[in-house]
Amino acid sequence: MLLTFLILITAFLLNLILPWWSIAIPGLIFGYQFKKSAWLSFAWGFLALSLLWSGQALYLHFSNDGILSTRIGTMLGVGSPYLVILITGILGGLISGLATLTGSMFKNNSSNK
Amino acid sequence: MKLIKPLISSLLLLALIIILNTKLGSIPPLGKFFDPDSGFWANAETAIPDSDVFSFEDLEGEVSVYYDERRIPHIFADNEYDLYFVQGYITARDRLFQMEMQTYDAAGRLSENLGDRTLNRDLQTRRQGMTYGSEKAMDLMKNDPEIWAAINAYSDGVNSYISKLSPSDYPVEYKILDFDPEEWAPIKTAHLLKNMTRTLAGGSSDAITSNTLAFFGNDFIDKFFTVKPELNDPIIPSSKKWDFDPIPVQAPDSIFKPASALELKNFERPEGVGSNNWAVNGSKTNSGFPILANDPHLGLTLPSIWYEVQLHAPGLNTYGVSLQGAPGVIIGFNENAAWGTTNTGTDVRDWYEIKFKDHTKREYWHDEQWKPATMRIEEIKVRGKETVLDTVIYTHHGPVTEVRSQVNEESETSYHALRWIAHDPSNELKTFFGFNRMSTYDDFKEAASHYVAPAQNFIFANNEGDIATWISGKFPNKWEHQGRTISDGTDPLYDWQGWIPTEHNPNVKNPERGFVSSANQESAAPDYPYYLEDDYAPFERGRRINDLLAEMENITKDDIRNMQMDSYSYHAATILPNMLEWIERESLSERELSILSEVEQWDFYNDSDKKGPGIFRWWWSNFYYGIFSDEYGTTNASLRYPSRDRVIEVIKSEPDFEFFDNINTDEIENRSEIVTNTFIETVEELTNAYGEFGDNWNWGIVINNDFDHIAFIPGFGKQNVYSSGGSESINATRESWGPSWRMVVELGSEVKGWGVYPGGASGNPGSPNYDSTLESWRTGELYELKFMKEAPKEFLYELKFSSND
Repeated sequence: MLLTFLILITAFLLNLILPWWSIAIPGLIFGYQFKKSAWLSFAWGFLALSLLWSGQALYLHFSNDGILSTRIGTMLGVGSPYLVILITGILGGLISGLATLTGSMFKNNSSNK
Repeated sequence: MKLIKPLISSLLLLALIIILNTKLGSIPPLGKFFDPDSGFWANAETAIPDSDVFSFEDLEGEVSVYYDERRIPHIFADNEYDLYFVQGYITARDRLFQMEMQTYDAAGRLSENLGDRTLNRDLQTRRQGMTYGSEKAMDLMKNDPEIWAAINAYSDGVNSYISKLSPSDYPVEYKILDFDPEEWAPIKTAHLLKNMTRTLAGGSSDAITSNTLAFFGNDFIDKFFTVKPELNDPIIPSSKKWDFDPIPVQAPDSIFKPASALELKNFERPEGVGSNNWAVNGSKTNSGFPILANDPHLGLTLPSIWYEVQLHAPGLNTYGVSLQGAPGVIIGFNENAAWGTTNTGTDVRDWYEIKFKDHTKREYWHDEQWKPATMRIEEIKVRGKETVLDTVIYTHHGPVTEVRSQVNEESETSYHALRWIAHDPSNELKTFFGFNRMSTYDDFKEAASHYVAPAQNFIFANNEGDIATWISGKFPNKWEHQGRTISDGTDPLYDWQGWIPTEHNPNVKNPERGFVSSANQESAAPDYPYYLEDDYAPFERGRRINDLLAEMENITKDDIRNMQMDSYSYHAATILPNMLEWIERESLSERELSILSEVEQWDFYNDSDKKGPGIFRWWWSNFYYGIFSDEYGTTNASLRYPSRDRVIEVIKSEPDFEFFDNINTDEIENRSEIVTNTFIETVEELTNAYGEFGDNWNWGIVINNDFDHIAFIPGFGKQNVYSSGGSESINATRESWGPSWRMVVELGSEVKGWGVYPGGASGNPGSPNYDSTLESWRTGELYELKFMKEAPKEFLYELKFSSND
């Protein structure tokens, strides 16, 4: 949980000033620090960014009365703007999950016996 | 190696990041695109913009831009450099993507950003000399200090906006198509203006007329293209007397026939590109002052083709619609006068068959000698591929296109050169700047006299009570029907032998009937001594406008507003009763008869809630093609179809017209049979398309009124708008064409304007202001235009500009 929280906060701050892929950085660092198992690392890392990105998207969706998300939904052929929000969350989550997994693997492997 | 697993994982992570950062086909880089901070989410507008202050050292004074509740900008500056600088800035702020797309297209540079799918379009653009024309326009504008200063100021303003943008600020279309805005330059204004000429004077029917002449003969051409419909009501009424001697021009003895049947690709200009305007003088209005109206018909897109703006500076206060990329107001009014425009459609685009000396094409035959051709290399950059180099050959007529036979593969290639007014130096802005500042009729006449292309029927009204129209442009002095078919490129008699002096252009001031009007119809009555064109719009809109205005008295702005929404179809009125008479009811089923009675009760108004318009339109179309398509289909050559108004006259007066027979059958069909069979066909087609007869056959649905995004991005337009109208009605809405701006101006001690365009000021699809006025437009509402005499106290938000102190 703490892992998720830290990744989420750090990613939020980094992404304000750095390009989108900077969301991988907290996963790498904290994944390494927390040295959880591979699947748990992925899961917590995924959760962090899927919450952050879909949360931000949801906020923008409502503040904008769904105007743009609906149009993007049509453009992508997925129909509903909620799917657009979901995809946003999944994309962020995938990167962060994979990054956290990678981080944890370095720690786990280098600290072996 | 214990590091294998983490290394593989790292590589996977890196690969995933790279994939999500790359454009794949037409899918934008997904990671970048979905990022809530800088991807498309950043374009979701969550609040009305705040007032703000900007400094730019180029500015000379202070400028304030006040935005009203529709977010229309009202620019108040104390000098003209600042005024046009800020106009550039705020137009870019709202419509940057549109500005770039239009100018890339006009310069044949779409492929640089969109890849090879636009290569053919770019090649065509270059081969038709669009870039050549822009360069010539620039030469002329450079010699006009006022205009040159304005387009440079405008350019500085646009660049000031672009230079402050970070990728997360880009309009969403850049993020989807994955490219960056580029620096603006004055030549882009020239490109934009040439694009106007391409849109409004970029079609020609020379090749298909030549084909039709060869195929059907002189009599057919005379009957359908030379003889004018009785119901024609020309723009300049026949009461006008011409008091000059026309400059003579020498015609050849017989008309040239180009080699074999040929094909030319033109930019398709469907019917609907046209417009209405009219002005009534004080004798007919309630106020005693003139009222002017204009509704230009163009492609209906989002964002709108127009951008509303007010420009206020010392000596200048004008309100109206502008184009994105050019300073000034194009259609609008000021404190003394109002103006509007419709497309004339003069034939200023001709094709010439060229005889080259040999395959090197370095010389061509003209006026009994070999003349040198020049080459122009057009370089087209293509995203993701190699740059394409296209060599375009230029003769004194213009650039040459290779043409292959449609009919015989063995035939030799032909070469056609294009003589087009767009290649001539022009300074359109001088005219519009003149209109922005004019007060008297003489001011209007003077400003219009400089106009080159695309030919426009300019209309004028002022506080002094004058109304007038000048059909403006630089017109070649032609012999009768010169350039209607493909011309002989070797014979000087076919060249444009001179120009019609501007003072001889058709015009009228304060006619007895108390109004002026135009709707793309015949420019003048047959007694006008020069030849301009033979392919004008059918008579319907022009005659309807004149019929209504002739009857009206005590006219108010609402009367005029209602006129703009008039959906009466003169076309239906002139032929439907006859079709109902000719149809053989014995051949119809119960169902067909009941649908027929629906059509019988129709009152000829193309209203959205009626079923008659849709049924009639399909029936007429099937009937028309039923008459001609069998004969027309016997050749692969592209032919020219006759105009509906002339066809109607012929089929009413000639029951035995030979085209009624379907040559693909043994029997001889007659008029009644075609009318009947096509009605049955129509009912079947409509049922297949719209289901059982019911409200889904309403014209509001069948009209198929769509607004596409300017780059056709799905989801960014508005589909299936339930509208009234028709191409032959004053309210000329149809599919994706129609009134792109509706304006009514009442002159008087205080000039007042009302207007609407379908869309909104903002070009951001993530803004509620993107399509907020569509509904008003659909129902014919007009907004009161906030024409401010001085800086307002109330406004939605304000942007202030000044130089660094």
